[in-house]
Amino acid sequence: MTKKQLGVFLGVVLPVIALLIVGIVFTNGLYERDATIQETMQDAILHEGDKISLFGLMVNPGLISAYIVTGVILLFAAAVRIFAIPRFKTVPGKFQLVIEGAVGMFDNMARTNSPHKNNFLGAYIFAAGAYIFIGTLFELVGVPWQTAAGMSVTLPAPLSDINGAIALGCLTYVFILVGGITSTRVRGLGRTLKEFSLPISMSFRLFGALLSGMLVTELVYYYLALSFVLPVVVGVLFTVMHALVQAYVLATLTALVYGEVTEPYHKKTKQPKQSRQQKQSQEVKV
Amino acid sequence: MPLNIDWQQILLHLLNFVILFAGLWLLLYKPVKKFMRERQAKYEKMDADAHKKSAEAEEKRAEYEKKLAAADAEIEEKRAAARKEMDAYEAMRKHASEEEAASVLASARESAAREKERAVADARSEIAGLVTSATEKLVLHESASEAYDEFLDAAERGEGEDGK
Repeated sequence: MTKKQLGVFLGVVLPVIALLIVGIVFTNGLYERDATIQETMQDAILHEGDKISLFGLMVNPGLISAYIVTGVILLFAAAVRIFAIPRFKTVPGKFQLVIEGAVGMFDNMARTNSPHKNNFLGAYIFAAGAYIFIGTLFELVGVPWQTAAGMSVTLPAPLSDINGAIALGCLTYVFILVGGITSTRVRGLGRTLKEFSLPISMSFRLFGALLSGMLVTELVYYYLALSFVLPVVVGVLFTVMHALVQAYVLATLTALVYGEVTEPYHKKTKQPKQSRQQKQSQEVKV
Repeated sequence: MPLNIDWQQILLHLLNFVILFAGLWLLLYKPVKKFMRERQAKYEKMDADAHKKSAEAEEKRAEYEKKLAAADAEIEEKRAAARKEMDAYEAMRKHASEEEAASVLASARESAAREKERAVADARSEIAGLVTSATEKLVLHESASEAYDEFLDAAERGEGEDGK
């Protein structure tokens, strides 16, 4: 960069920054907080004050987020199916490589963790992983929505709603249960029921992880002073990382437990018990 | 319910996720996996074909080597046979040339003997002629000088007649 370019850059950027700071300081007094930080946090968890009307049903904002995320993912999938997949080449391009990499990763995870039965497992963990990842990143977009009370609310991540997390955890458990029953009948049922804590642990892990990210973000944005630079770090740490980690954890756990319950039973061949006299004779020989 | 857990909303979430799962499976996962499987099958087929061709080439190479070894042996055998035949032919030719040389020598000797005989005969006849002529010369010497004198006389007479 030449000195002239640097001068132009600083001459534009510095006045913009100064004007923004002045604007922020002067407009701060225009907004009155209608809730304390405790109330904001409580609302973020329980959604008691920000219900949204969905065809007359009062639902949490997370459900609206879930439908939007599903719509976006399905729209993308349809576009890929119509425009990209028919043009796929034997030697893949960049976009094809990304799509194949994602599908291949989940398919490989399903095949390695559950080698005996993995017909739908790959597709299931692919869908769950995509839902968790894109749903968590959806939080960063900050789509505004009107509540039933006429207030504005920013749509959160779908799984920061406990109902969404419970739904995914329970559905995963049912999926594993069905896989176990269809592959090893009663034994599969028994093996799955043995893991009775799985739906609870999965649900609350998802809920806790995503809620914590949302709470930290709420906390940061509650105070004006924290709204500079810090959201970038918080956004990366609590949103992008969570999105990746939670998608990976749920997919891996599902594949692992599915692999365990669908494993065919091998009868153990019992060795005949040695009599005491035989053991003693062996010891003497040694 | 504690924590605002709502069964109706759980069911709505379930419906949402089931739709997502079905849609993703049909629209993205299945076609992409099918494409990848077909590509893998294609490459496996190519690999199998290459292995098959390689095995065939190896088999042909072994066969050619075997044939080559057989041809070498055959060539060696033929060479030995040819050598043997050549030796026999050489021996036969040597024998024939010896015979021919002997016959040539014999005929040469015979011819030489004939020549010798003829030369001796010629020499004898020549000697006999010489002896005869010498004898004739010795015998006819007197009559010759007389004849010479007559010739001279005749020649003198011939000059006188021409002068007239």
